[in-house]
Amino acid sequence: MDDLRTIERSVDVKDIKITARKVQVFYGEKHALKDVDVDILDKTVTAFIGPSGCGKSTFLRCLNRMNDTVSIARVEGDIRIDGEDIYDKRVDPVQLRAKVGMVFQKPNPFPKSIYDNVAYGPKIHGLTRSKSELDGIVEESLKRAALWNEVKDRLHEPGTGLSGGQQQRLCIARAVATSPEVLLMDEPCSALDPIATAQVEELIDELRRNYSVVIVTHSMQQAARVSQKTAFFHLGNLVEYGETGAIFTNPQDPRTESYITGRIG
Amino acid sequence: MSGKHIVSAFDRDLESIQAKVMRMGGLVEAAMRDAVQALETSDVELAEKVRQGDRAIDALNETIRQETAQLLALRAPNAIDLRVILSVMSISGSLERIGDYAKNIAKRVTVISGVQQINGTYGALRRMTHFVTGMLSDALDSYIQRDVDLARDVTDRDPEADQMYNTLFRSLLTHMMEDHRNIAAGMHLHFIAKNIERAGDHATAIAEQTVYMVTGIKPDEDRPRADTTTTATMESDL
Repeated sequence: MDDLRTIERSVDVKDIKITARKVQVFYGEKHALKDVDVDILDKTVTAFIGPSGCGKSTFLRCLNRMNDTVSIARVEGDIRIDGEDIYDKRVDPVQLRAKVGMVFQKPNPFPKSIYDNVAYGPKIHGLTRSKSELDGIVEESLKRAALWNEVKDRLHEPGTGLSGGQQQRLCIARAVATSPEVLLMDEPCSALDPIATAQVEELIDELRRNYSVVIVTHSMQQAARVSQKTAFFHLGNLVEYGETGAIFTNPQDPRTESYITGRIG
Repeated sequence: MSGKHIVSAFDRDLESIQAKVMRMGGLVEAAMRDAVQALETSDVELAEKVRQGDRAIDALNETIRQETAQLLALRAPNAIDLRVILSVMSISGSLERIGDYAKNIAKRVTVISGVQQINGTYGALRRMTHFVTGMLSDALDSYIQRDVDLARDVTDRDPEADQMYNTLFRSLLTHMMEDHRNIAAGMHLHFIAKNIERAGDHATAIAEQTVYMVTGIKPDEDRPRADTTTTATMESDL
């Protein structure tokens, strides 16, 4: 049946990239994330949806230890990437974040040239030995982010001079420059117009060939468009996790149903 | 899912479309009964009314198609809302077909009244119509009340409608073999019986849509079928 399917959505990959077990997050007294168990697949786009304050961004930020930077945050439980405990004392969070890249809601290029924005990561992680090698990485990353053609003649102009959509793709190029294995995206299109959104969504689909992509989005239509797997969070719980097609046509939990049909917020 | 949408205009859109489906259902049931009654009483006027009435059914179907397309485009419905829309499209299509069958039966009234009659067939056609419109009415009730048990009951009844058609088929074939002057009426009555039987199939399809809409799962495709006339020959079956 596989070759007859019209929508290339079915998840073929079965390799698990990230395993989370009994993950709890506390912000001071507040219990923000409760007992989250999830297996995130390799070479798959996984969308996290849910109302504001449901814990989806909190969980995303556990995956590259961004919550370490929040002083009152406490993370419990077990999160493994390729079987390695990322909260192990021997793990260097900076190295981890090179492996688990992140793109944020608002484009946040460094106040540097387009070239330097992309070259920064490979430089500090010592990934290149020569200028020409670095040039190659910059070009390759900008191509992956579908930005190369638009900026190849002005690589030394400031990144902040680009349009919003271009800046966001620059940030994606910057994130892929360190050859991450996982790409986390926290509402990457919420500040973009529909055309730039479509470009980023097309890009996400491209990136799926090489990476495990996890995207937090408030737009359910975006989750439906870009992801193969969807997880619905509500009040700190992971309520339902399954194939996107199934979640949006026949969700099993009444809370998921109410949320995606616009009955609870 | 009984909860209201946060965007209340969405609920109003859905309700308005469902109301049209029900109105269509009412018209179709009446058309079916009237067509067979016109046949039995050779009432050409009633037959004409059924033929004219089909326009209203077709127009409702068209409106429903347009409105569902708009709803899909504008509201991007998910889950139960999506299944409701998909079911509405399918159900209004089924009703439109049943309307066509009623119209087709009505068209034959004038012709049949002019040829030699076959006694005893009208009673059987009336019973079959009563049975099938009963299925239709229950299928629509099951849809409105989201009643899966009633819907399954309707699908379970379909083999009996098939059985009634088989019996009529054999009886008409016998009449036509006995006396070739019965052939004209026999052919028309056979088409009528077949139309009623097909209306039963569409009532079953509506019930199946109800099951899908409520549970998200399509009922088993291989439901029992009792129409055996496709393999009937004069030698082996009569």
